[in-house]
Amino acid sequence: MSTKTSELVITRDNLLKGIDKTIADYQVAALTKRGDRSLFNYITSSNEIKLEYQPTVLSPKKFLFPQEEVILEYTPDGKINAKIDAKPLVLFGIRPCDLNGFKILYEAFADDHGDPNYLAKLEQSIVIGIDCKKICDKNAFCFKVGSQNALGGFDIMLYELGNDYAIEIASEKGRKFIDKYLTTSKANGNEIATFQAEKTSCFGKETPFKNLEKLPETFKQNTSHAVWEQEGSRCLSCGSCIMVCPTCYCFDVKDEWDLSLKQGKRIRKWDACMVSSFATIGSGENFRHSATARLHHRIDRKFNFLMEKHGQSACVGCGRCVRACLAEISPKKIAEAINGG
Amino acid sequence: MRNKLNLQEKNPNLYLPERAKISKIKGLSDKEKFFEFELLDRKTSGHLPGQFFQVSILGIGEAPISITSPPSNNNKFEMSVRAIGDITTKLHAMSVGDIVYIRGPFGNGFTEATTNRMLNKHILFIMGGIGYFPLRSLLNKVVPEREKYKKISILYGCKTPKERMYPEELAELAKIGGNVELLETVDRAEDGWKGNCGVITTLIPKVDFDPNNTIAVIVGPPIMYKFVLKSLLEKNMPKENVYMDMERRMKCGVGKCGHCQMGGVYVCQEGPVFNYAEVEKNEELF
Repeated sequence: MSTKTSELVITRDNLLKGIDKTIADYQVAALTKRGDRSLFNYITSSNEIKLEYQPTVLSPKKFLFPQEEVILEYTPDGKINAKIDAKPLVLFGIRPCDLNGFKILYEAFADDHGDPNYLAKLEQSIVIGIDCKKICDKNAFCFKVGSQNALGGFDIMLYELGNDYAIEIASEKGRKFIDKYLTTSKANGNEIATFQAEKTSCFGKETPFKNLEKLPETFKQNTSHAVWEQEGSRCLSCGSCIMVCPTCYCFDVKDEWDLSLKQGKRIRKWDACMVSSFATIGSGENFRHSATARLHHRIDRKFNFLMEKHGQSACVGCGRCVRACLAEISPKKIAEAINGG
Repeated sequence: MRNKLNLQEKNPNLYLPERAKISKIKGLSDKEKFFEFELLDRKTSGHLPGQFFQVSILGIGEAPISITSPPSNNNKFEMSVRAIGDITTKLHAMSVGDIVYIRGPFGNGFTEATTNRMLNKHILFIMGGIGYFPLRSLLNKVVPEREKYKKISILYGCKTPKERMYPEELAELAKIGGNVELLETVDRAEDGWKGNCGVITTLIPKVDFDPNNTIAVIVGPPIMYKFVLKSLLEKNMPKENVYMDMERRMKCGVGKCGHCQMGGVYVCQEGPVFNYAEVEKNEELF
C-alpha cells in the first residue's frame, strides 16, 4: 500500500458539494444516521452523509445484489423479458471490508457465464471508497484476514487527512467522474503515505492470522476439529450471519404471478446455506442435515474453498455476523481455534 | 472441467429461457412420465450424455432435469420425470402441445474424453430406480454402437417390478445378446416376478469383469452409491474407472446460487458426472 500515490486532493466541502452535484444524474447511496445507528441508504443531499464510520447491520452489497430482484417478467401467453434494473448509481463512503466484498462478488458473478444483472448494475455504478484510519469496533477483525486495506472493488478511494482527502483513481470511469463532478487540486504525492503511517500506528499492534495464506490448507487438514461441533451445536440455523455478510451471494429463485394473473415474474432472493432446507433435493434427502455441517460449509466457503478461488480470504472481517449472531458464533474464533492463532 | 454453455453465443442473458414444446408423453408408472420435447428456438439441443437442462414452467418455477435421450442432430430431446415437487407435478399435468422453457444444457456430462476411455472396454451400468433416467442418454448412445466396446453389462435394480422404468426398452436390451447383457433385481418380488430378488449389489458378483479393463457408471438414490462402491472396490476396481452422476438442488446452473455445492465443488459445473477418484475425499459426496 505504501507505493500508492495520490494525484489529487479534495477538501471535505468540495467533496460534499461534488456529491450534491451528482444527485441530479445518479442515485446516490452513502452511510447515513438512523437513530443511534448507521445504515447505507439512498440520500437526496450530502447533509445526510455520515462521514465517520460506524458498523452497519447490512452491507452495501444490497445495492448491487438486492435482497429481492426480478430477473424475468412474463405474460401467460409466453412473452418473456429479461429484467435488469440497473440505474446510474454512486456508492459513496464504502469501507475496505465492503470493498473487498465487492471484489469477491464481482469475481463470483463475472466468473464463467457472467451474471447479467449484477454486472449491469456494477457497470452503471461508481464506487467511492473511504479508507479506515481506525478499527471500527471490538467485533471487527479485518486485520486478521488481510482486509484492512481494499484490494479492489472501487473506482475512487479517498484517504482522510484532516479537512482534506487524498484521491486514488482506480478506473477510467472514476477519472471521468472526478473530472465532471469534483473540484480537486493537485496533490504532493505523499498524502497516501502519510495516511498509511497514521493508519499503521492504530492497526499496527494487530496481526493477521498465523500463516494467513495457508488457511485453506489448514482448514482441509482439520475437518474433524472439535470446534466445529462446539460451535455448530449452538447454531440456531437462523441464517442471520448470511443476511448481513458482504461476501455471501447464494440465492434462491421463485416464480410468482401478480394477483391479476396477467403478469408473472421470476425473482431471485438471498438464500442462506445455514438454513436447514438449503441442500435438500426433491426426494427429501438433505446433504447438509446438521447445523454443524452447515456452519462448517459456510466457514469453509470463507477460509477454504473461496479463499482458494479468489486468492484472498472470502471473510473480510467486517464483524457483521458476529454482531448479528444470537449464539455468539464467530468466524474469527473458529479460525483461531483451527489455526492456533 | 467445465462445459461451455451452448446458449451463450445466441442468448446473452443467462437467465432468459427458450421454448420447448411437449411433443410426446407416455406414462412410465404411477409417479413417472416420459416426455419428448421439440425445441422451437434453436435447431439442436447440443447436449452430451449426463448433462441437464434447467426446465421451467412460468409461474411455477425452474428445476434441473437430466436429459434422457442420446446426443442428436435434431431439435428433439427426451426427459423422464418423477412427480415430486411443484415443477415436476405441474409438468405431469401438462399435455402434448404445451410449452415449457429450458436453459442449458448445463454441467459436465460424459465428455468425449470419458466416452473415448470406454472404447474397447467393458462398460458396467449400475442403475437404481430412476437412476435409469440420467444414464439412459449414455446407454442409448453406446448400445447401438456396441461393437466399439468389449462388453456392455447393464445392472438395474428397483424396489418392486412395478417401478421398473421403460419395461419395453428393458425387454429390447435383454434380447440383444452378444456383448450386451441385462441383469435385473427387485427389492420385493411382487406381481409374479421370477427374476432376482435383493439389492443391486447382489448383481455385481454375477458379472464377470476384469476390473482394470472395465468402466463402471453408477446412478441411483444417494444410499446406493456407498454400497455399490464398496462392492466394486472389493473387486479391485480402480477408483478412476468409476463414474457417478450426482443429484443436487440447483437454481442457476452456473456455479453462483450455491445450492448444488458439494464441499468446494459446484455439481452444476464440475458435475453432475464425476470420476470417483477425483471426488472420493469430498466430505459431502453422499
